[in-house]
Amino acid sequence: MPTSTELLQGTLDLLILQTLTTGSMHGWGVAQRIQQVSKDVLQIGQGSLYPALHRLEYKGWIRSDWGNSENNRRAKFYSLTRAGKKRLETELEDWDRLSAAVALVLGRIPEASS
Amino acid sequence: MISEWISRFRFFLRRDLLARRRTSELDEELQFHVEQATAANIAQGMTPEEARRNALIEFGGVEQARERCQEQEPGWWIDTLLQDVRYGLRGFRRSKAFAVSAVLTLALAIGATTAVFSVVDPILFRALPYADAGRLVSVGFTFSSEREEFLTGKFYLDWQASHKPFAEMASQGDAPHPCDLVENNPAELECVKFQAGMLPLLGISPVLGRNFLPEEDAPHGPPVVMISYALWQGHYGGDRQIIGREINIDGNLARVVGVLPRDFQFPTLEQTDVLQPLALDPAAQNTANGGFGIPMLAFARLKPGVSLAEAQAEMQPVFDREKAWLPPPARALTRLSIRPLREREVGDARRIAWILLGAVAAVLLTACANVAGLLVARGAAREREMAVRKALGASRWRLVRQGLTEALLLALAGAAAGLALAEGLLRVFVALAPAGVPFLSKARLDLRIAAFTVVLALACGVVFGMTTALHRPDGLLVNARSTLSRRHVRLRRVLVMGQIAASVVLLAGAALLLRSFQRIEEQRLGFTTHGVMTAQIALPGFRYNTEAKWLEFHLQVEQAVRRLPGVTAVALSDSVPPGGWQSELRYSDLAVEGRPHMAPGVGGWIATRRVTPEYFRALDIPVIRGRGFTGEDSNGEMRLVVLSRLAAARLFPGEDPIGKRFSMVGPGSGTWFTVAGVAEEAKNTGLIGEERPEIYFLRRDVASDWSDRRAVLAIGSALPEATVAGWVQAAVHNLDPTVPVEMVPLAQAVDKLLDQPRFETALLGFFALMGLAMAAVGIYGILAYLTSQRTQEIGVRMALGATRVNILGLIARDGLRMVLAGGVLGLAAALGLAHVLRALLYQTSTYDTLAFVVVPVVLCVVAGVAVLLPARAGMKVEPTVALRYE
Repeated sequence: MPTSTELLQGTLDLLILQTLTTGSMHGWGVAQRIQQVSKDVLQIGQGSLYPALHRLEYKGWIRSDWGNSENNRRAKFYSLTRAGKKRLETELEDWDRLSAAVALVLGRIPEASS
Repeated sequence: MISEWISRFRFFLRRDLLARRRTSELDEELQFHVEQATAANIAQGMTPEEARRNALIEFGGVEQARERCQEQEPGWWIDTLLQDVRYGLRGFRRSKAFAVSAVLTLALAIGATTAVFSVVDPILFRALPYADAGRLVSVGFTFSSEREEFLTGKFYLDWQASHKPFAEMASQGDAPHPCDLVENNPAELECVKFQAGMLPLLGISPVLGRNFLPEEDAPHGPPVVMISYALWQGHYGGDRQIIGREINIDGNLARVVGVLPRDFQFPTLEQTDVLQPLALDPAAQNTANGGFGIPMLAFARLKPGVSLAEAQAEMQPVFDREKAWLPPPARALTRLSIRPLREREVGDARRIAWILLGAVAAVLLTACANVAGLLVARGAAREREMAVRKALGASRWRLVRQGLTEALLLALAGAAAGLALAEGLLRVFVALAPAGVPFLSKARLDLRIAAFTVVLALACGVVFGMTTALHRPDGLLVNARSTLSRRHVRLRRVLVMGQIAASVVLLAGAALLLRSFQRIEEQRLGFTTHGVMTAQIALPGFRYNTEAKWLEFHLQVEQAVRRLPGVTAVALSDSVPPGGWQSELRYSDLAVEGRPHMAPGVGGWIATRRVTPEYFRALDIPVIRGRGFTGEDSNGEMRLVVLSRLAAARLFPGEDPIGKRFSMVGPGSGTWFTVAGVAEEAKNTGLIGEERPEIYFLRRDVASDWSDRRAVLAIGSALPEATVAGWVQAAVHNLDPTVPVEMVPLAQAVDKLLDQPRFETALLGFFALMGLAMAAVGIYGILAYLTSQRTQEIGVRMALGATRVNILGLIARDGLRMVLAGGVLGLAAALGLAHVLRALLYQTSTYDTLAFVVVPVVLCVVAGVAVLLPARAGMKVEPTVALRYE
């Protein structure tokens, strides 16, 4: 099972941004969501998750607000900013180009991605 | 993109305000994560304790996560830097003695280095003040042993026609020559002739007016001059109307067309007031000066991409072809010379500049070693603190950074203090320095020097910071009591030995220079300086314009001075020994009667002086064979000479020279000079030059014997110098108040020649003492530290029966071993490096025994004191107290 450190540099950012398109979420939620959607293949350790969240926030792509969690605890919720949405679009384009190129090199027909 | 920057900026601005809140928020956020994980684990059926334990294990290092999150913030390092700085300063405040001694040591060394660098920078590194100065070269021949290249008109024109490697080429007439400004407010000036191409070649344009036009720089062109900024400001009060005005130089009117920039540096470095066009007449260059053309100094700019070696290779065939024009004996002695203009301007000063820089660098290294030693000692004392910090989760890099920050803080504080010190030291250097150090007036502390100092300080800080910062302890030492870390001690020992070695090298250099200085001072000059006053008289050329007038005036002065009370001897000469200008001949210029002529241009130099009879008495130069000149000779028909012992041996080997005759070759041949006597040698090539044979020509009371409007009066007197000087000046003034007289006691002129060796010796000595003092402090420091660390051990030894003398020996032996090792290392290095100084030494071998005996003795005395102090402290340890220590 690949650990987060083996994720391509920048891929984690992409995953977080994509995950946040569904709405604002706290760090724990982001990690769970990625794990769930990837069917437990991708497990994001907090050691890279929180630095990544803070990095994205400092870059202005996501913003944070304190709110109450589902079990009524104070938690920090992250959501996409307008800049973050634009960023996600370009990152997705890059990703498509890259994965298509890699698939070509490996001689596989790219499967339709959502 | 912009929003990203705005966001970054916003975070940056609110950094301080938010810092605390953010830290607690971060903690809360991470805490929440752990709680969620715990809840998830419980949901999977774990007990609450187990769930929390697993959540924490899964989570990993909370501290590391927090640090990594904080590192995401733009400019986070500023915070940690400030933190490190605050922490470091707090530490320094706790150990003031350490901080003060470290900063002082650094200030001394950095100050000295900065001052020396500001002096040597223009000599060694700074570009000359010309456009693209790196490509400017001085071109020409060197003849025989002369080192300054020159060219003559015929060769210059030929080079210009075939100057393949040069983009531009221009020349100036020989060296500057004295000239008179004739007007109501007369002045004696220095004039030099420049081709119109000189200023464009150097990339200089006049601040006022313009350069010479090509038609002005041609034979019979309109008479024009350019003047120096100093003359314009000083003599003409900066009047802008000076352009176009006619001034009278040596009786000829010339129109001022331009004013040179204030800091224009003449390629010969001589201060010059007036520039005249060279007006080179190509036709005359094949006939003038024996068919060689007028002598000149030529300069050129290398074409882009042409190296010095390529230029030399390209000019060599031209030069080889031209050599055929020279008389055969001169061919072998003439060499082609193309060298950077800087080399010509700086000359010999390069060597002393490098030596000084090397010496001060050694001092700086010693100082760095000292501070490094201090830091190591402090590091050992803080080992526990560091171990605790590490155990609490500080990364190794963080601790190294802390150490580096503290080292750099010390270095920068040292640099700030050093810069202030350098200003003072620079003034001392300038006051001490001899006239021969080029660009000294330009040495000042500017931004470039300050930048150098800061870089230097940072380099020092990194060097001694790294030696200690990398020496961080393992995490195991938290429990250790203050242990004596072997590694720290070994490092400090090595540092101290290096310091001793460096200071021995400096000491040896200083000792050699001191020995040489002593020899120069003690040498026999061959004449007396005691009670001898010289008066330089320069008759204004436009009023005193014939030999008869020169003769008349000078004889009047001689008689007037002779009438003064207390004057024992008065003589006129064209120059006085031992240094300064004197006229010179080659052996080949002389033809001894009855002997074949020598080949022209060979045989070395002879100094000549044209003197009136009392010269030998005034300077107390003994005549050892034959006789000196007498008053009757002054009116006689015979042209008499007195030879120096060397000249007699050279011109008349194995013969009695008295009564023998010789004449001049070339112009003036046919006049026979008869040898009247032989005088003892008198120093005539400065204080350290090799003695040169000398011929004294009698200056008779005949107009034809007076070929110069300048003369030096040598006056022997028993009265105080100031009295004689005043009287002589008054006597000259009585005869003609417009004639300038310069009074210089001969002893003072000789002393001035000592300036250079004195400067070199004083500076190197100063650096050697600094180095020695620092090495002594270094030895003392480590031994005192070791002794205090060993207090308990000493107590045990004493309890077991060791005497106090045993203890003294124990500690002293340790120190002396370091001194011995460093000393031997240093002596070996000094013997290896001494040859660098050879050119500065006068009659002193680079392996001078006394110097190499004195150095170890001085070292032993100083080191002995530095060793004994802590050893005595060790000896006084009370066993009962020591055993209870800690």
